[in-house]
Amino acid sequence: MNVLKMLALASLLLTLTACAPKGPPGGVLGDPARGKVALTQYACQSCHLIPYVPGSKVYVGRPLSEMARREVLAGAVPNDQAGLMRWIMDPQSIDPNTAMPNMGVSERDARDMSAYLLTH
Amino acid sequence: MLSNRHRLIVKTAVLTLLGAGATAGAVGLAVLYGGWYNIGATAQHFPYIYSVLEEGMKQSVRNHAEDVKVPRLGDAAQLRLGAQVYRDNCLQCHGGPGVAQSSIGMSMQPIPGPLVDATQRWDPNELYWVTKHGIKMSGMPAWEYHLREDELWAVVAFVTVMPAMDARTFRATIAREETAK
Repeated sequence: MNVLKMLALASLLLTLTACAPKGPPGGVLGDPARGKVALTQYACQSCHLIPYVPGSKVYVGRPLSEMARREVLAGAVPNDQAGLMRWIMDPQSIDPNTAMPNMGVSERDARDMSAYLLTH
Repeated sequence: MLSNRHRLIVKTAVLTLLGAGATAGAVGLAVLYGGWYNIGATAQHFPYIYSVLEEGMKQSVRNHAEDVKVPRLGDAAQLRLGAQVYRDNCLQCHGGPGVAQSSIGMSMQPIPGPLVDATQRWDPNELYWVTKHGIKMSGMPAWEYHLREDELWAVVAFVTVMPAMDARTFRATIAREETAK
């Protein structure tokens, strides 16, 4: 195999890896694709910028990009999937004075939403 | 008189335009009657379509609200009335600080905005115009025929002070109006 062919093969491989859908990182449960739709059905995008969810430029709540990199939520709770689900389902249990309302999110929907947020 | 060469150029241009127009029309009809477009509210717009529609809405409101004269806003009685009007008519779709909208408001597409940032986006004359005339194709009703003129201005006044409220103050404000009724 000559050098050119090897280069072509290498770039093809690189392209393919870039296109591969991002699966949830280890230990994250739930269905990120369903979670993305669920986020729009609980009005999350009315206050938060969410990756790949179209909406207005709103900063009422913090942007939800790169959630997987955050270490704590509301300065109080470890940002693992359990903590994120708890915040989504009952923010007042973590911060009684937060302006984020309890949106009545079910456990399944919260799991899928957190799966989406932790993978984008 | 056109030379043969010019005649050919004109003929080609006209036929090309007609052909392009007919093709575009056929594609448009196929998309319209094919039903391929997903009208479901779980399918989001492409980001640029959302942005273009939103920009058009903003400019239309700016333009139409230009001549609205804003009265003096913000006396205590007016804010009390505004809180009551807000609670009874706006809260169900827009929510408030720490208070969720109803499930209808949560799942509308486009999503009704949270009005806690309304003063950053709109001036009082624009808030009044939107409240009075509504926004076509968005679900925002025209309140002109359902609220009195003083109620329209009262709710505009309330929306301009709401951003400064924390969750507890907001809850207390709408609760107090409930018992006062």
